[in-house]
Amino acid sequence: MSRRPGRAAALRRGGQQGDGRTWPSWTGAARSVARVPVLATLAVLVVALVFPRFEGGNTTVMSLATEALTYGLVTMSLNLLMGYGGQVSVGQAGFLAVGAYTTAIVATHFGGLPFIAVLALAGLVTAAVGLVLGLPAARLRGHYLAVATLGFGLAVPEIALNGGSLTGGYTGLIVPPQQLGPVMLNNPVPVYYLGLAVLLVSAAAIRSVLASPTGRRFMAVRDSQDTAPAMGINAGRTKVVLFTLSAFFCGLAGYVFALNNSIVEYSSFDFSLSLFFFAAVIVGGLGSMWGSLIGAALLVVIQQEAVSLGGFSEAILGVAVVIVLLLVPGGLASLARRTRDAVAGPRLPRRPAGPAGSGPGGLPDQRSSPAGASREG
Amino acid sequence: MTEFAQLVVSALGFGGIYALAALGLNVIFKTSNVVNFAFGAMATVVALLVWTAHTSLGLPTAAAWVLAIGGGAALGGATESGFMRRVAGTPPIVSIVMTIGLLLLVEGLAGVIWGYGPKTVPTVISGPSIAIGPVSVDRNDLFVGAFAVAVTLALNLFYQRTRLGLAVRAVAEDPEVAALMGVSRRWVLGLSWAVGVALTGVAATLAAPAVSLTPTMMDDIAVFAFAGAVLGGLGSITGALVGGFAVGILSDLIAGYVSTNLQLTVVFALIVVVLYLRPQGLFGQAAQVRQ
Repeated sequence: MSRRPGRAAALRRGGQQGDGRTWPSWTGAARSVARVPVLATLAVLVVALVFPRFEGGNTTVMSLATEALTYGLVTMSLNLLMGYGGQVSVGQAGFLAVGAYTTAIVATHFGGLPFIAVLALAGLVTAAVGLVLGLPAARLRGHYLAVATLGFGLAVPEIALNGGSLTGGYTGLIVPPQQLGPVMLNNPVPVYYLGLAVLLVSAAAIRSVLASPTGRRFMAVRDSQDTAPAMGINAGRTKVVLFTLSAFFCGLAGYVFALNNSIVEYSSFDFSLSLFFFAAVIVGGLGSMWGSLIGAALLVVIQQEAVSLGGFSEAILGVAVVIVLLLVPGGLASLARRTRDAVAGPRLPRRPAGPAGSGPGGLPDQRSSPAGASREG
Repeated sequence: MTEFAQLVVSALGFGGIYALAALGLNVIFKTSNVVNFAFGAMATVVALLVWTAHTSLGLPTAAAWVLAIGGGAALGGATESGFMRRVAGTPPIVSIVMTIGLLLLVEGLAGVIWGYGPKTVPTVISGPSIAIGPVSVDRNDLFVGAFAVAVTLALNLFYQRTRLGLAVRAVAEDPEVAALMGVSRRWVLGLSWAVGVALTGVAATLAAPAVSLTPTMMDDIAVFAFAGAVLGGLGSITGALVGGFAVGILSDLIAGYVSTNLQLTVVFALIVVVLYLRPQGLFGQAAQVRQ
């Protein structure tokens, strides 16, 4: 029944490459860019588009929905880094903070700038920070990299606290409302649509990056930092590009975050937020963009209930991470995939399977169920 | 000059705490090649156990400490046998994810059990400060610093002079050859985790009087300990002591001369610079970096 020869063995063996060192097989779909389930995407998109029709009057719900979009973009950017690039970040809230503060500072001091310029600056400034962090990261692996990003996540709020009038110190910065053509972005519904647009465009951009040679280089470095150079890939430079890109998209999320909260404070970006993003990516499924969105949505729900749950909200995330790691490699996204396979039979041809590493668009799964085989005909 | 000397001496206390926590991290890293990102939460549990045993159960301080340290060792051993063993031999990211999951789990459960209200634990030693010329030394700080040095010496003696210590070093050096020589890897890893978590627990309990004891109190202290461990070299015992004190002194000097709100930033910069220029730290071996 199981396609894997024992979970422990699969973990130890390291992916389907069989080199035993580099990447666990629980990344599942991350082998290649997973195909988009078109109908499901359309359904979710329609729900997302008409959602304000029903809840538009409820500012709390709209603000939470926008927060889910923001977190979704953050977890996507983190998934790009971890799931596709194989690099760890335990400080992603730091990038979110850079994006949000950039938005607030630019919007305050250069009020006349069009919204798209502010959005671009939020992304670019954060990308520059990602580049600087990526330079040492390019030389580091595994635990060393994790320690460095952890320090980054803790340092950014403190720097913001010390920024004087530039960052507003303890009180933070009020974000002046942005003007989008005739629409003033000072009301939850337009901010929601803007957030949705930023998320969709970013998701499309991330997908096209992953499908490009650059994306292939990310995955090659992830799968083996030792063999990637043998293929002519500069692993260090690839990692710097990866960090820069991840930071860029996280900075865009910071823009939406700033508009949605209309105030940017250092205390919004504490260390636990970074941990929560990390957990959301793992629980949703490394290497699955859908999983990231699901993880982000769960995170918003759990945070919302945190007051009544107390410590349980954190413990639930911890348990979920451990369970995913030990029992559900691939996270919730893989559960959805497995359920679909169980009901409808596996889709053929599917992602490259088998230790031979048959390459993109590889052979049909040899061990597919009879139901799947009959669908083929 | 006096101010400088005073700042350096004042760092004895927190330097010792960072050193003890870094020792706990490095004892674990030495054998398992895992950075225990959950150590802050686990250490806090030990401190909270001291509080419970002392305040709720009314045990004398010494008994409370023994009980809590035993609890910490049990927690460490259970972490190894219940969780870390299942991901042994996997790429680093798997154990990073595991320890971060455990961090969330333990910190959350500590919040459920003990709540988030700050608690107080008395200092081990009280009494007036000792004056050495113009510089005054807090008795408790002196004790903490001396204790960290003593633990380092004891650990070095253990690793160098005992058969069990030899077995631990053998596992750290080459697990397969060690297994051939009849060393139980499980035993050694379980022991390392037990000692490591107990040590970080001691650090948290010593830190608790100076900060408010809550389930999240170690979130910030943890990064200083990580910095100390990285500066000294991950896996190095003497390195943890030197690194811990160096980070303590550095952050004290920053607080004294620059700003009290810049310590995390400077420590982060230190981590990045050390990892960039000399990832193996002051005392580590270059080979360990390429895990």
